[in-house]
Amino acid sequence: MNDQIEQDWLDKKLQEAAPYIEDDGFTVRVLQQLPAPQMRWQFLRPLILVAASALASALTYVLSDGGRFIIVEMFKVTTIPTLWVVAFALASGMLVMAGGIVAAMSKSGQIQY
Amino acid sequence: MELTDAGLVARVLVDDDQHAYGELVRRHQSSVRGVLRQLTRGDFALADDLAQNAFIRAYKNIRSFRGEAKFSTWLYRIAYNCFREDARKRKELVGINEEQWQAERDPQTVDPGLRHDLMHALSLLPLHERSAVLLCCQNGLSHDEAARVLEIPLGTVKTNVLRGREKLKKTLAAWAES
Repeated sequence: MNDQIEQDWLDKKLQEAAPYIEDDGFTVRVLQQLPAPQMRWQFLRPLILVAASALASALTYVLSDGGRFIIVEMFKVTTIPTLWVVAFALASGMLVMAGGIVAAMSKSGQIQY
Repeated sequence: MELTDAGLVARVLVDDDQHAYGELVRRHQSSVRGVLRQLTRGDFALADDLAQNAFIRAYKNIRSFRGEAKFSTWLYRIAYNCFREDARKRKELVGINEEQWQAERDPQTVDPGLRHDLMHALSLLPLHERSAVLLCCQNGLSHDEAARVLEIPLGTVKTNVLRGREKLKKTLAAWAES
């Protein structure tokens, strides 16, 4: 018991004897000596995505005779029976929910203790 | 909300964010410099140079940090390696003469005050005991973490801490009683 008290006393004193060392420009000196960040092309990503989407849209519009297929398909959708629409909505909802559950389960499995 | 070390490391990894790294340096500079000052037996200039090297090396190798240990543990390990390499260059690590070191330190010249005595007693410990005591008792690392930093078996760390503590206790017996 005495040993434990002595040990605790010693550890406490050791911790107290190690005062906080003020930065005094240490961090700045370290940062000045770090190698320059590598050239990153990440800023190009959104540009590429937007450009590719615009190009694809333009191509689709031109090749589909001014988007005529959309009007045709919309017309087809209006002729689908109501029951089919309900069944489709239900199936979509369940699919999204299942995806969410799977994602949540895999996420909780990643938690490390 | 303040980012955790892991969050800052992630920023450095993903965006090469040197501001995030600066925050990591700011958080850990005191403890790393403190340990190195003790390991170098109070040579502040050398300790700060080594700490600087350690932080630069940590930045360059941050992709090898896998997050299995705490960032501070990983950092201590790099700092200790910097110290060891430098000591090897100076032939101080294995060639150090502990008896001569102790003889050079005349107890009469020790200033009053527990802190001074404690630091003095610590500096008299052999390197393997001093580093184990510094990491475990002063900086709160577990034995396991200290074993990783020092790259020695867990049992050896325990033994070194125990022996180091015993020596410190003997040296500081008068203070403990008062």
